[in-house]
Amino acid sequence: MENTRIKQVMSAVFEVPVKFIVEDSSTDNIENWDSLRHLNLILALEEEFDVSIPDEEVGNLVNYKLIELIINDLVK
Amino acid sequence: MENLKYTEILQLNKALVGTLKSKPYEIGVLSNVTINSLKEVLEYSCRLNQIEPKVEIGNFDNIVQDSAVLKNKDLIIIFYDVLNIVDQVSDFFEDLEEEKYNNLKNKLFTEIDIILENLSKTASVIFNSFSSAYYNNNKVLVSKIDTFVKVLNSYVEQKKTSNVSIVNIDKLFAHIGFKQSIDYRFYHSSKAPYTFAFLKNYVSAIETVLLRNTGKLKKAIIFDCDNTLWKGVVGEDGMEGINMSPNSQSGKFYHLVQRIAIFLSKRGVIVCLCSKNNEQDVLDVLKNHKDMILREEHIVIKKINWVNKATNLREIASELNIGIDSLVFVDDSNFEINLIKEQIPEIITIQVPTAISDYPEVILKNVYTYFNLVLNSDDAKKTEMYKQQFVRENSKTAYSSIEDYLASLEIELTVVKNDKTHMSRVAQLTQKTNQFNLTTYRYTESQVNHFIDDKKHEVYAMFVKDKFGDNGLTGVCITKEDKKDSKNVIIDSFLMSCRIIGRNIEFVYVSHIIKDLANKGYQTLTADYIPTKKNAQVEDFYAKVGFTLIENIDGTNYYSLNIASFEPKKIDYIKIITELV
Repeated sequence: MENTRIKQVMSAVFEVPVKFIVEDSSTDNIENWDSLRHLNLILALEEEFDVSIPDEEVGNLVNYKLIELIINDLVK
Repeated sequence: MENLKYTEILQLNKALVGTLKSKPYEIGVLSNVTINSLKEVLEYSCRLNQIEPKVEIGNFDNIVQDSAVLKNKDLIIIFYDVLNIVDQVSDFFEDLEEEKYNNLKNKLFTEIDIILENLSKTASVIFNSFSSAYYNNNKVLVSKIDTFVKVLNSYVEQKKTSNVSIVNIDKLFAHIGFKQSIDYRFYHSSKAPYTFAFLKNYVSAIETVLLRNTGKLKKAIIFDCDNTLWKGVVGEDGMEGINMSPNSQSGKFYHLVQRIAIFLSKRGVIVCLCSKNNEQDVLDVLKNHKDMILREEHIVIKKINWVNKATNLREIASELNIGIDSLVFVDDSNFEINLIKEQIPEIITIQVPTAISDYPEVILKNVYTYFNLVLNSDDAKKTEMYKQQFVRENSKTAYSSIEDYLASLEIELTVVKNDKTHMSRVAQLTQKTNQFNLTTYRYTESQVNHFIDDKKHEVYAMFVKDKFGDNGLTGVCITKEDKKDSKNVIIDSFLMSCRIIGRNIEFVYVSHIIKDLANKGYQTLTADYIPTKKNAQVEDFYAKVGFTLIENIDGTNYYSLNIASFEPKKIDYIKIITELV
């Protein structure tokens, strides 16, 4: 459930179709994933899941796996 | 829009890209903080209102330079945020030395002067008020930053030109809650202080400016009756059982909504009723209920019947001769609201909230966004004029030919030229007129002012009167001398209010203007017809006047006329009076 929502958020923020957001999507292979959009991604994830991502994690969330990990952790 | 998530806005906005064909409305955003996320939210708001946007975010912290580079945009929005102003001089503003404080103040004054000067000819500018809410740790004592912000705000207020609107940021913070508006985490890492909640509310706050500038303001508000203008159902509870008393706990909110409706009717907004009821029951309430303050005289059209409301609203728009997207509809019923949303999405719908104490506030918020509330003498008479229009429509049948009928109206036109007293109404007409409008250029008051001052431009305004009443200022024409050929003059704008169309007034008006231009020594006249969704009725206007079609490029017709060989139509039943100023 969360996985689909994460992918939808990433798809909207990076302007790529949902099907291109996969397990190994990261800042390396998504062209639009720059620092400005990273900020939008964090805010959009927080809004979507009604959570607050800790400051120290913000910089670490550079791929789909890590995002999934932290979101699943926060919504528990 | 405030209720949508950012992701949803991104998706909805994307779906609308390319659906609007009109010329883009160009918006520039100048800022000393990171504001890039505003772009899509702003675009979505525009597209929802049928405005095709082109948003350009200026360079980071480059407001002064960008105000010169982007000054030709249709709209400039300025985020001059106190956070970043203060950060550049001190990490603890309260202890800033007097000399540094004064230097900073003077630097900002100079910058504000340059910005306002650069943007003085821009059609519209939105400037956010400076706020000290960021540092508001003491609510009683006046801190240095409080004083500083006050000084800046009053400076802008005093220096601003009439094209500048100021957004009260403190009110916006108060509405959303400061903690929900500002996220310091991203301010410190990326100079991006605003939350999505703030951006969404901000865009919704400036929506009214977008609508005003693009001629998308609404013209009529249609109220349901039961549980919308009063509490209760007249058909069931009877005259005695319904409540709208200012002295009753639940009635007073309906009383207040009626007050707002009257307020609107005085400002030229067309107030109508659309209710599923027996007509006589509602007429009785309007006439005889002691607490009813909204009366027959305030209401232009009443559709009290059992026909579905989508049909009724379509009829109201067509009888008033206004676009269906000029209506705002208020109803308590989920069913009716959804029916209209589904059938006629162009209509703005307002549902009476379940928490009835919020009702007047909900109405007011929409009223301020969607209607023009500047009182001018014409607006005050509008309800009366719309009613006279029906008398005219009805008496049409008695005459055998339309010419006879027109002759019997005793139409009288008064044309004034370059008269500043009517600037606000002229600008308003360019913004609101859609149907009889050849080019649909929208102008602000300051642009009209500029045309009047400029020797190469002429601004003609026409007043129309007939035996049924006074229609006021209802025709505008703006001409400009051709830059490449001083013997040629161009009709930039030619438009008339829909209240006066169908009476051949346009031919007398345009002939009069051509005569005046001939007297000024011009030999040829060029004019364009730019098609829009709504102005098909004037497609062949210039051809009928006697212009020659030169070419058609992308739908726009380019015409030309040799003034010497121009022969005005013989329409001797319309009298024309000129007041040259």
